[in-house]
Amino acid sequence: MATFLVILHGLLAVALLGSITHQAFAVAWPSRSKAGFANAYRAVSSPVYANANVVLFIAVAILGGVIYPNYRVWVRTYLESARLYSAVGSFEVKEQFISIGLGLLPFYWLLWRRPEAAGKSARMAVTLMLCFIVWFAFLVGHVLNNIRGLFGL
Amino acid sequence: MNNNNIEKLVPVFSAAFAVIYIFSVQLNWALFTYHPKIRQWGWLVEPGRDGPPMYWYGWLVTSTLGAAAVSVIAWPLLRNRPTQYWLGWTVPLLVIISVFYFFRDFFLR
Repeated sequence: MATFLVILHGLLAVALLGSITHQAFAVAWPSRSKAGFANAYRAVSSPVYANANVVLFIAVAILGGVIYPNYRVWVRTYLESARLYSAVGSFEVKEQFISIGLGLLPFYWLLWRRPEAAGKSARMAVTLMLCFIVWFAFLVGHVLNNIRGLFGL
Repeated sequence: MNNNNIEKLVPVFSAAFAVIYIFSVQLNWALFTYHPKIRQWGWLVEPGRDGPPMYWYGWLVTSTLGAAAVSVIAWPLLRNRPTQYWLGWTVPLLVIISVFYFFRDFFLR
């Protein structure tokens, strides 16, 4: 069951990663032209991603919370016994970032619900912060999930 | 409370959540503890009963309730002012940066 949930957690994280990266590019580096892949990637309508990102972030966080006890009991104790403190610390940082991201979600949703000029800089900042959090969490989770294979342990 | 009023509270909620959360982590203000090995819950901060205790869920609830309380308390100050958008992202950004500082020991061993 835990393996299934880890895979589902990873798949939803991939969907979130794609969605929020798309939105972040479109808001930070917009393009009016749709000529070519790079321009088309940046020329999407940013607000349409907001609800999906909120739902995916919450779903991935809940799944992460469900499988977290397995990590705490079995994986972290292994990492500590192997003296892989950077790996343990990376997960700790990821955990705190996800929490701060959860606290940001209502503000993110508000900013995209009715995009107004007054909230433009906040909208860009919050979107980029959430994008950073998602990328950080994804990379740390991916490396930890494969740490024995990646580092020949 | 109409939509416009809620809009004024949301940035305060996000800022307060981030600050209360980092204090919860640093000072361990968990509202409850989970003992994953024996699948038991306990109120407030408890030492491990059998295996490592988990405080993360408790920190999240502490922060959510605390941020909601701060938002309500701040309401009289915000009522006649424009929405403080800057508050909702500058404070969480500073907290994100502070996380690297608070957890530096893991990377310096």
